[in-house]
Amino acid sequence: MTKVSRLVLALAGVAAAAGPWWLGDGPMRFLSELFLMLAMAQTWNLLAGYAGLVSMGQQVFVGLGAYSLFVTSIALNLAPFWVLPVAPLVCAAVAAVVALFLFRLREAYFAIGTWVFSEVVSLTISKIERLGGERGMGLPTAKLIDPRWLEPLTFWLSTATAAGAIVGTYALLRSRVGLGLMTVRDNDLAAASIGVDVWRCRFVAFVLAAAGCGLAGAVSFAATLYAAPSLAFDPNWVVVMMFVVLIGGIGTLEGPIVGVIIYFTLRELVTVVFNLSAGWYLVGLGLAAIGVMLFEPAGVWPLLRKRLGGDWLSVRRQPPATQPIGGTAGDSAAG
Amino acid sequence: MIWIETMVNGVLYGGLYGLLGVGLALIVGVMRVVNLSHGEFIVLSAFVGVSLAHVMPGVHPLILLAPVAVIAFGLGFGLQAVLVNRVVTRPDPFASILLTFGVAVVMRNLMVEIFGADPRNLPAGRLAHASTTIAGLSVGVLPILILIMSVALFTLLQLVIMRTRFGRIVRATADNRDVVRLMGVNPGRVYNVVMGLALALASVAGMLLAIRSSFTPYSGVERLLISFEVVVLGGLGTFWGAMVGGIALGVAELVGLKFDPNAGPLYAHLLFLVVVLMRPNGLFGARP
Amino acid sequence: MTLLEVDALDAFYGDFQALFDLTINVDAGETVALIGANGAGKTTFLKCLVGLIETKRGEIRFAGEPIGREPAERISRLGLSLVPEGRLLFASLSVEENLTMGALNRRPGSWTLPRVYDLFPVLRERRRQMPNALSGGQQHMVAIGRALMSNPRLLLCDEISLGLAPLVIDQIYASFARIRAEGASIVLVEQDVKRATSAADRVYCLLKGRVTLQGPARGLARDQLSRAYFGA
Repeated sequence: MTKVSRLVLALAGVAAAAGPWWLGDGPMRFLSELFLMLAMAQTWNLLAGYAGLVSMGQQVFVGLGAYSLFVTSIALNLAPFWVLPVAPLVCAAVAAVVALFLFRLREAYFAIGTWVFSEVVSLTISKIERLGGERGMGLPTAKLIDPRWLEPLTFWLSTATAAGAIVGTYALLRSRVGLGLMTVRDNDLAAASIGVDVWRCRFVAFVLAAAGCGLAGAVSFAATLYAAPSLAFDPNWVVVMMFVVLIGGIGTLEGPIVGVIIYFTLRELVTVVFNLSAGWYLVGLGLAAIGVMLFEPAGVWPLLRKRLGGDWLSVRRQPPATQPIGGTAGDSAAG
Repeated sequence: MIWIETMVNGVLYGGLYGLLGVGLALIVGVMRVVNLSHGEFIVLSAFVGVSLAHVMPGVHPLILLAPVAVIAFGLGFGLQAVLVNRVVTRPDPFASILLTFGVAVVMRNLMVEIFGADPRNLPAGRLAHASTTIAGLSVGVLPILILIMSVALFTLLQLVIMRTRFGRIVRATADNRDVVRLMGVNPGRVYNVVMGLALALASVAGMLLAIRSSFTPYSGVERLLISFEVVVLGGLGTFWGAMVGGIALGVAELVGLKFDPNAGPLYAHLLFLVVVLMRPNGLFGARP
Repeated sequence: MTLLEVDALDAFYGDFQALFDLTINVDAGETVALIGANGAGKTTFLKCLVGLIETKRGEIRFAGEPIGREPAERISRLGLSLVPEGRLLFASLSVEENLTMGALNRRPGSWTLPRVYDLFPVLRERRRQMPNALSGGQQHMVAIGRALMSNPRLLLCDEISLGLAPLVIDQIYASFARIRAEGASIVLVEQDVKRATSAADRVYCLLKGRVTLQGPARGLARDQLSRAYFGA
């Protein structure tokens, strides 16, 4: 990473930490939502853009993250944010089990299989009265938090989740598993023939993506203090995740960032500026996704990259420079 | 007795599910495309049916099946010609599902804005509730009609695909899109007709479903999942497999509803997941 | 009369150039052999002729008409017929259905279903069977029959001896006499040089996308052929 990028990141970090003091409640809430959506989009991008797994049921982990947080918090009578780690752990465990049979399905079948699984979980939870059934449940333990800190804590956690998703994905992709993943994405038959454990790479990606989504879901619903199956397992979560990634640029780390900015701009334009009902921005989002798929499948980021020059978060590796005879070895793997 | 009646009704409605899925099976089999807007087109057909019924109050909904099917054919033809044909030749297997998912989202939300989110249904008068007794069991007249219609359409489809010149061209195009061009066939045009046909079939199922239960613009999701489960359960490449898959799902759903009235399609979904776990190639397994 | 004229043809797979400045002619009534090692560009050339590969540089004229920029569906009506490498029969169609598919674009001529069955009698017995129930040689017969059903003026055969027993290849090559007698010209793409030169009037040799040798089939010396085939 260049010195300039390090400086920019440091400044951003300070700005985020100081957020509650210079941002009003409204902008903070908006940014929280944006960061959480960014985190979710990064997980979907990891799955589809790098592991070759198109999941249309990713909302199941958003919902499971939310519900596991609520249930644990109430059962242990602890303030919700203390039990946050439960959400990614539960989701990772569920993902690990579910992968065992969903991975038997390929491509489009896997995609819809995950969706069916999400519906099954949603319908099952709707029938459990202790979890509030269809009406949903509240979060009484939120009273244990000082209300003045609710918004700031949510903001910090959202920022941390988004940063964690980006850093985590970057680290994963730079690891051995990550290298394996990228070969799988490009050509899984060739990858297998050179000894890459395709199943294991995808499994790791699937579990990590579930954990990330679960964490984001938990933070999101803890902030609203209410969870119901129709909200927690709403397919619109994956609709937005997917379109953000597609439009921004699938298979790149910068893509979801660009996509999220476009999404929120579109949403605010439609609902605030043009004052139309919310459904219209989804229409716009769908049309944009169709346009991207038809004309520019790589998304917006590659176009921007050409204009702005340079990769910001490239995970591309440089092959090690050849050693001159008798000299010192060259640098390998630049950022 | 109630259980047998429930199962019989499940079989009868299962024919309807088979009809929902066979259109999707046709598209997957011929062009290897999973049309994720299948559900939304089913719901749109029902809305068109409701609008037509409004405009022509004396006409029974069953008669409206024909014009709605024709409209659906046109929409399918257009969808393929304008959008899907552009991605069908791409090597990326996800291009078509992502594209059609975009179409689904646009359609779903447009329908909400245009028709509103209130539940609607197609009133079928006395026919909807009439029942008759066969072999001591009380069976609805409408379900029997639906089963007869489903079987008739399935048979017709099978005949067209296996015995006509057009069917031969469709099968050849499905086998090898490039070689068939050497015989003067334009694969894109074949796909247009196949998509139109698939949506016409789905529209019939959509109208019949709308008579049986109410629907909203959001019902497309459920319709899609059922269609998809029918395709996978039946195994690709067989139409009658889709019928059997539909019946299995219909029975599972109705039997499940009998002892768990709030379950919705839960037991159908569970059956699907169990079968997939044990036989990933479907009950009659063909090429995945 | 020159039936097929190919002039300075270039062909690309994306950025990769497969054919360089190819000039090849076929006269009416001739049998021309195209020989060369794997990857020399023979199949690519045939695909360009029938329109499966788009060509932007160079000319292809068939019976005087330029076809270089036409789509495959249209070229098929002009009288060019391909027996593809690997047969590529329609797996879901029976033998007879495969043959009738070939007739979709039929020009007036003498090849009909009974005539094709006369040429390859074994297919008549197996007309309702699916292609995967047939032996390799029989599948080749179906592929040739399917190409004949359109009554082509120029029959393009891509490696039809590949993977077959010598006796079977003899049978198939024997059918060429009949095919020629009915008026078709033939382009024979082969790796087997002996077969190709004995069945053809003229020979072109391709190496890495270029023509390295051309001449009458029986007049070429072995070392000449060898050099053109493998490169110096």
